[in-house]
Amino acid sequence: MVEFLKYVKGYLRIRVWGFSPERFMNLCSNRSILLWDIVKEGDTYYMSISLSSFYKLRPIAKKTGTRVVILQRCGLPFLLPGLIKRKVFILGLICAVAFWIGSSYFIWDIELEGNYQITEDMFDSFLAERRVKVGMRKGELDIGLLEKEIRKSFPQVTWTSAKLSGTKLEISIKENDAPIIVEEPKDEGGQDLVSEYDGVIVAMIIRKGVPKVAIGDTVEKGTVLVEGSVPIFNEDATVREYTYVRADADIVLEHTRTYQEKLAPDYISKEYTGRTKKRYFIRFGEKKLAMPENRPYLVYDSLIRESSALVLEKLGIPLFWGSYTHREYQNVEYEYTLEQAETLLNEKLSIFLTSLEEKGVQIMKKNVKIDTNDGMWVLDGTFLVREKIGKGVDIVKTDIPESAATDTADSGTGE
Amino acid sequence: MDTLKLPKDVCMGALRVTLTGNTEAWVENYRGILEYTEQTILLQTKTCQVCFEGSRLSIDYYTNEDMKISGCIGCVRYL
Repeated sequence: MVEFLKYVKGYLRIRVWGFSPERFMNLCSNRSILLWDIVKEGDTYYMSISLSSFYKLRPIAKKTGTRVVILQRCGLPFLLPGLIKRKVFILGLICAVAFWIGSSYFIWDIELEGNYQITEDMFDSFLAERRVKVGMRKGELDIGLLEKEIRKSFPQVTWTSAKLSGTKLEISIKENDAPIIVEEPKDEGGQDLVSEYDGVIVAMIIRKGVPKVAIGDTVEKGTVLVEGSVPIFNEDATVREYTYVRADADIVLEHTRTYQEKLAPDYISKEYTGRTKKRYFIRFGEKKLAMPENRPYLVYDSLIRESSALVLEKLGIPLFWGSYTHREYQNVEYEYTLEQAETLLNEKLSIFLTSLEEKGVQIMKKNVKIDTNDGMWVLDGTFLVREKIGKGVDIVKTDIPESAATDTADSGTGE
Repeated sequence: MDTLKLPKDVCMGALRVTLTGNTEAWVENYRGILEYTEQTILLQTKTCQVCFEGSRLSIDYYTNEDMKISGCIGCVRYL
């Protein structure tokens, strides 16, 4: 600290020699002039003295018959005049400080963490809609409102926190990772189960409702399989009332499914000519600075490469550079050969079959053929499948005959 | 003075020397330097003279109140 103060005030290294240097030092101490680093070499003394004290030395030197010579000037007072002469340097320094202070009023990086279901792109477009972007003023951002809007726009977000750390906006979210419970509709009106296809029933397990078909029965589309209206009988086997339930059953139906896939006879392929043009750009936040250019080719596609220095990313400076590579190509028409058509159609078929398997459909027999029809490649498939069926249909409540209801009431009072 | 337990350096202006090993010495209550070479530093005090002898002696700082001598101090003599 003392050294720093000495540096700020400025000091001199001096050489003293003559009639009585010891007396010179004594007089200095008497007049409260601090001397330090006093070294003697031969008849000469070297010492340091503060700049302000140096101006008081003249009478002392005269009195003691010594001579004083400055050897070195140290400290800020000697550095500043040199600096002031360097106007461009000072201007640069002022500009740098001004830029530094000015840029600290803006947001230069947005960081998102804790997202699993919500992709970065989804979040970016959400922020863009709210006009929250890199390069915006910190004052324009209402963090509380942003947090509220995140929770409102993404229902799966259970907790959110946004904070400004320097020039970086840090958004942390927590998504709901508990399983989503689908509420079953209330069992109010009751439902029948009806068939969705024509076929033969091969298995049945009834949990709720009254079965209307049996294993081995042939059913048509729309046939009621299980009824949701369960009758309650009187002692005389007449219907007293119906309770309505949601019919629930596992019914496996064997039926035929068809699948058709068509493929155009020709396709267009990109043939690159090998001619490319490169164009470089610099991007700062949203602003992009690129070399001017006309339309490079008649038909082309572009490859964008963008990179940034790690140090800039760490500092949160959104400076990127990269290049566009325009590649010329021609659209060439080709016709599918039988092999190509077969491969493509089989791929599509296997996707279809996989989707069936995922639904739990069992394929018993399949018959697939590929042919050309009206200049198109056509895949026709017929599959004998076994799958779970049963579509819920709301029950139209039937009225119980008046006489039966009255009988029931009478018999009830009788007992 | 002994009864009152007053410090003698304050009341009588006696020399006060603090030695740290044989390399550093802090000196207070002196009048001035009489002689200064690399081998000898002779100081005038109120009542006597003190001589620091040794080699490579130098004065780190020198004020009206105190001074610091550093170097290899061989002996301190009162003349």
